[in-house]
Amino acid sequence: MLSALLLIPFAGGLGLLFWPGELSTERIRRAGLALLVLQLLWSLRVLLAFDTTNPGLQLQESFAWVDSIGLDYRLGVDGLAMPLVLINAALTLVSAICTRDLSQRPRLYFALLLGISGAVNGAFLSENLLLFFLFYELELIPLWLLISIWGGANRGYAATKFLIFTAVSGVLILGAFLGLSLFTGQVDFGIHIVTTAQLGMGTQLALLGALLIGFAIKIPLVPFHTWLPDAHTEASTPVSVLLAGVLLKLGTYGLLRFCLGMFPEAWALLAPALAGWAAVSVLYGSLAAIAQRDMKRMVAYSSVGHMGYILLAAAAATPVSLLGAVFQMVSHGLISALLFLLVGVVYRKTRTRDLEVLRGLLNPERGLPFTGTLMILGVMASAGMPGMAGFISEFLVFRGSLGAFPLATLLCMVGSGLTAVYFLLLVNRAFFGRLAVTPPSGDPVADSRLEVRLPGVALRETLPALALASGVVGLGVLPWGLGRLSEQATTAMAQLPSLLAALQGGGLVS
Amino acid sequence: MRPIPRSPKPPLTYGGGLPSSNDLVETLLAGRTLLADTPDHLSQVVDVLESYGEVLDAYSINLIYQAEKQFLNPFPVFRFLDGDHSPAKIWRHLQHDRINFEYAEYCQKSMLWHGTGGLDAYLDSEAFAADCAAIVARKTRRDPLLAVLNPLFPQFLSELIRSAATTHALGQFWRVMSDLFIDLARAERDGRVGSIAAVVTFLKEGLVAAAGAAITYAVEIGDTRLWVLPPEAGLTFLMDVAVPYVEAVFLRGTPFLGTVSFNAQAQQISPDQAQFMYGALYADPLPTMGSGIPPSLLMQDMYRHLPDRLHRTYRAGIRGAGDVRVKICMTFQKAMFCVTNAAIAGTFPHPLGSDVPAEQAANRAHAAAWAARLCVARTDCLDDPG
Amino acid sequence: MPDTFPLSIQLSWLIPLYGFSGMVLSLPWATGWVQRNGPRPAAYLNLLVTLLAVLHGSLVLRAVLALGPQHLDIAWFSAADLDLRIGFDLSLTNLAALELVTFMSLVGQVFALGYLDKEWSLARFYALVGFFEGAMAGVVLSSNLFMSYFLLEMLTLSTYLLVGFWYAQPLVVTAARDAFLTKRVGDVLLLMGVVTLSAMAGSLEFNDLYAWSAKQTLPALGATLLGLGLIAGPMGKCAQFPMHLWLDEAMEGPNPASILRNSVVVTCGAVVLLKVMPLLLVSPVAIDVLLAVGTISAVGGALVAISQVDLKRACSYSTTSYLGLVFVAIALQQPFIALLLLFSHALAKAVLFMSVGSVIATTNCQDLTELGGLGSRMPATTTGFLVGAAGLTGLLPLGCFWSFGLMVEGLTSRAPFFAAVVLLTNGLTALNFTRVYRQVFMGSPHPKTRRTPEVNWLMALPMVTVSVLVLVTPLVMARIDRVPGIGAFSSVTALALVGSGLAGLLAGRLIPLDTFWSRSVLGPLRVLQDLLAFDFYTDRIYRATIVAFVAGMARITNGFDQLVVNGLVNRLADVSMASAESLKLGVSGRLQSYVFTVVAAIVLLVGSLSWLGG
Repeated sequence: MLSALLLIPFAGGLGLLFWPGELSTERIRRAGLALLVLQLLWSLRVLLAFDTTNPGLQLQESFAWVDSIGLDYRLGVDGLAMPLVLINAALTLVSAICTRDLSQRPRLYFALLLGISGAVNGAFLSENLLLFFLFYELELIPLWLLISIWGGANRGYAATKFLIFTAVSGVLILGAFLGLSLFTGQVDFGIHIVTTAQLGMGTQLALLGALLIGFAIKIPLVPFHTWLPDAHTEASTPVSVLLAGVLLKLGTYGLLRFCLGMFPEAWALLAPALAGWAAVSVLYGSLAAIAQRDMKRMVAYSSVGHMGYILLAAAAATPVSLLGAVFQMVSHGLISALLFLLVGVVYRKTRTRDLEVLRGLLNPERGLPFTGTLMILGVMASAGMPGMAGFISEFLVFRGSLGAFPLATLLCMVGSGLTAVYFLLLVNRAFFGRLAVTPPSGDPVADSRLEVRLPGVALRETLPALALASGVVGLGVLPWGLGRLSEQATTAMAQLPSLLAALQGGGLVS
Repeated sequence: MRPIPRSPKPPLTYGGGLPSSNDLVETLLAGRTLLADTPDHLSQVVDVLESYGEVLDAYSINLIYQAEKQFLNPFPVFRFLDGDHSPAKIWRHLQHDRINFEYAEYCQKSMLWHGTGGLDAYLDSEAFAADCAAIVARKTRRDPLLAVLNPLFPQFLSELIRSAATTHALGQFWRVMSDLFIDLARAERDGRVGSIAAVVTFLKEGLVAAAGAAITYAVEIGDTRLWVLPPEAGLTFLMDVAVPYVEAVFLRGTPFLGTVSFNAQAQQISPDQAQFMYGALYADPLPTMGSGIPPSLLMQDMYRHLPDRLHRTYRAGIRGAGDVRVKICMTFQKAMFCVTNAAIAGTFPHPLGSDVPAEQAANRAHAAAWAARLCVARTDCLDDPG
Repeated sequence: MPDTFPLSIQLSWLIPLYGFSGMVLSLPWATGWVQRNGPRPAAYLNLLVTLLAVLHGSLVLRAVLALGPQHLDIAWFSAADLDLRIGFDLSLTNLAALELVTFMSLVGQVFALGYLDKEWSLARFYALVGFFEGAMAGVVLSSNLFMSYFLLEMLTLSTYLLVGFWYAQPLVVTAARDAFLTKRVGDVLLLMGVVTLSAMAGSLEFNDLYAWSAKQTLPALGATLLGLGLIAGPMGKCAQFPMHLWLDEAMEGPNPASILRNSVVVTCGAVVLLKVMPLLLVSPVAIDVLLAVGTISAVGGALVAISQVDLKRACSYSTTSYLGLVFVAIALQQPFIALLLLFSHALAKAVLFMSVGSVIATTNCQDLTELGGLGSRMPATTTGFLVGAAGLTGLLPLGCFWSFGLMVEGLTSRAPFFAAVVLLTNGLTALNFTRVYRQVFMGSPHPKTRRTPEVNWLMALPMVTVSVLVLVTPLVMARIDRVPGIGAFSSVTALALVGSGLAGLLAGRLIPLDTFWSRSVLGPLRVLQDLLAFDFYTDRIYRATIVAFVAGMARITNGFDQLVVNGLVNRLADVSMASAESLKLGVSGRLQSYVFTVVAAIVLLVGSLSWLGG
């Protein structure tokens, strides 16, 4: 059942790429959309088959692949991976829908989108470290191509930067996995808890450190974030949606699954430092966002800040905080995708994202009023306004982490306050005031007479954003669905350290 | 009809800049039109004035109905129904499927508040006070609430009567204008009007023809008819209503809450109403339909009565029907410059061709007075192609 | 809850939803989906649902009068040890507050129909008011801190959107921003308090929290921080010093929203404070802060109001002032007096603001120095202002007279200082309203007030209705307060009150009025005048301190990010330029080379893995 989640995008992507004969862009687009809809439907089927009372991995599939190196094809899904699989399916579809004006190589483009989606599914579902790594790397190259072919003016720099950073991330992760296998002598590359009995704390810390930095680059956390704003600025809107909404989640997923999940003891040791790191990341990202004048960079920096909450939640590792982490992953996926979509609409219509230039886009006739309305909703959700997804996620994270790390949690809350500052600046500058899309000339007469002729936004252009916005509100008002989906898994994960202690006490570990 | 000579191309705006006062004076004295004389302008101005004429027709009927039939009614709930209380009409009004009469009231309030010209002067006269006293005496006899309020707030009723008088006068003014604009559209269709210059001439002659028409207003209380604006007051169409209307609505206007702060400490609004520049010739069309922009109501009304030809023109723009009401507003502004042009031409003290130096000087002074105000208006629309 | 209860109680969870449904119902018009017809149906629908809310509220009130207080509890979200619930506390006080909120919303909406008659974005306005009303109705009924916080934050959002209603006007842009951020500071602090309580006490039900705090001995610092966090939210909502800045700027918003803001929104903030009051007992410092903030706000607000030249602001600062007195009453554990004061203030302030609105609508002017002589022509407006001002000052036996009487009586023996504060505020307020009345309604007409007919019935009717309500407030108060009775204060107290009010009235009658906004020629007086007129320069202090700090930090962080972090990366990249160049080869190449790169990478990877594992 889970294999279909790989088969649909991969086979579909390859089919699209190598389909004999000429295909018009529109037909390729339709075929790509159909495959992605199929993937979404299949993900929903998996959801229906998913047992929310089971905290462990389920719907497992496995067969030995390259047995000699312990590379087994083993898939499974639990409450941590399930929401992410759904988000992946939904957001890839959204980014395919919002792909417009595809001037070159439509086949490759949609094949790459499908490839990324399949690889991400693979990474979330892998039950084998090497398999995870393979998918983790596999998603990298299509994204690099997406940025470097369909990106903005400075795309070469951004794409290379992205590639180098993520390659380092991959090397570190692979190194840690191999090291783990080397030191423990286990070659099956399964996801097991590592105990002190097996491995000394020093070694554990070294391996965990490598993993941490590897995933911190991907998430990204300060100071490894510098590839992200550049990548976002140069990437086209659909790619930004994917990058922010789905791909960053690979990092946080890795953090929870492999760092916390495999090294609970070392993790507990590092937790206070990690909480501090989280607070620094949150404040740094938020403060840097305030100083941005490019809307897209601002949203990108906000991602840096908001992903810090997940590190905080993971550091605290209480049932509530880990559930909060899952919520934050989903809600950040929805909200940042929404914001990037809207910034994309603004850019497509006005040809600029400069906050020093844009004014008054809420103008009902000649501006982008509906986009502006959704933007207000999006930034308010991001700032943690109740009734929307951001609030419940942040509340869970803060509530779960406060007991463990009061100071770091309070600092993160300050970061949540700062989110309101920069996003309010964004809305107030770009959407309030008298409509203008060119820099002020300094002559008040000329400035008051500027003719603005922006193309209108068709309903189909706003539909994806509207769908995401309703998701944001829906999750904010009715959060119990997602809660039920993930609660068992996160609770089980939070109990790992105590479980471990019990196991060791009982002498069950060989 | 002798058309005003067509100007080759009045160089009124220079790359988005504003024409100087001198340019305007010369244009006016030479009898050239303010608005560039192009076929596009002609069709747009005529069409927009036609839809304006239809809207004014409804406004005029309603204002006169309000002044006569809703006189001093404390709860004029159905004042926009023009006396037709059929369920179908009430249902339409509940759905707001109607002309926005609020805009007419807004113009009336603006005219009353700015208070310039002969009508306003009459409202402060003793004759008016005497008429008021008679009306109040009769009205308070029938209405206990007013009987109580009148001695406590002695100016209350006469102020409302002044308001009603302005309402009625504006209704009469718009009656004439509505007919004139619809006639203009007919004349253009018949080929009698073929240029902007001819439009201005047509309007000027219409105004001059109506100039001396008497403005009167009487109310019925019980079965007696009482004068509010009696014929003896000698109020006339052009000088006592049209000119104050242009002053209040075209030139001064009132500050829009959507663009100007009323905060006293910010001092954005001049303490002197004569310095106001918020009227139709000064307004910024871009925020039309935004919040706090009252002319949006008028644009919506005109949108509902837009001739097909103009609608087609607008749909061809980049935004299609999406920003049609801003486009209406921009065309409307041009049309209002034509009307102003006609009003200026119609009020020159002496014929433009006069050789008498004193008469020339008087004409020049008249043109200069207008140019001083127009040179800071939105004249940049005048040679804008579309 | 047993099924035998009346339907009105069982369905009382619907009450906040009426407002929210009004918002949803307005959407077709607010989003421009309905193109040809005007936006008024949205207004009518909102009026209808608000009327339903009023009626439903009064049915519940009747049922509760018969059956006693009820509690309605619905699970919302629970996970592990966290249990977030939706709780309605159907007590008489809460329901009275609900009736106040919904009724004021109703009359405010009718007033808006008149005030905003030439407004094309009417549907958006009503959608926001519906949202506003729903949040307020929820706040007053809420039985737990989580829900209170949830809805308070929604109030912040809707305040932002309502203040920003005329978004194209330059001052509105800054006003909306400041309104949001000031309140947000309070909200974040409150969130810290809520999260802390949730983590420490478990349940967020007020009753559980009271029980928890009663047997709790927190460390002093923790208790203080918790207490301060809890009062920060209401402080922001009630526009108390130093978070009062937004109320001044919020005056840029439409007047009907100002009516609601100055009467019922601040009341909601105070109601939340009343609900957390028992928790504050853990922290004496928080109580002291509350007292200090209340006192400064009461006297400072009254003084600043006197020197305002703007009609709306002259009235809005008195809101800060009165809520300061409410804070004092709450800090001194006088919830009942606080409630009476809130009730009488809300009604009187509402009619005052309606009157202000109709003056603005008629004269297109808010500048006191340009107004004058309206008294003889605008009966409803003049009466409204007089009744509102009288209801706010302790001079005539209207609402605030009795509330002040009880408060002064209660404080004279315990805390005479605060009794003096009440009297002083009363006097200053009387002075302020007298001078405003003289300037606006008396004297000879100015150019802008020469032609001023009374406003239309949609504005006049709500104004008259609320005026009548203000006049009968004492009767309502007497019914609520049977024991000890609203007149339970000595004649000395009454005399002191009347004396202070009379002194203010006389002073207001005697001070010279500015014909234009003049500054005194006396140096020290001018400094004082400017200090008050510019609200103690609060905005400049903010700009010089916290805004400058955050902006500076943001610049430093960004500079560090660009120069150090990014610079380092670029340096590293320069070193390894060769590899970067080789990776870039594909950018301009053909499809095959991409596929080749991908395949090569994977082959290389698997190969190296098998070698390693092998």
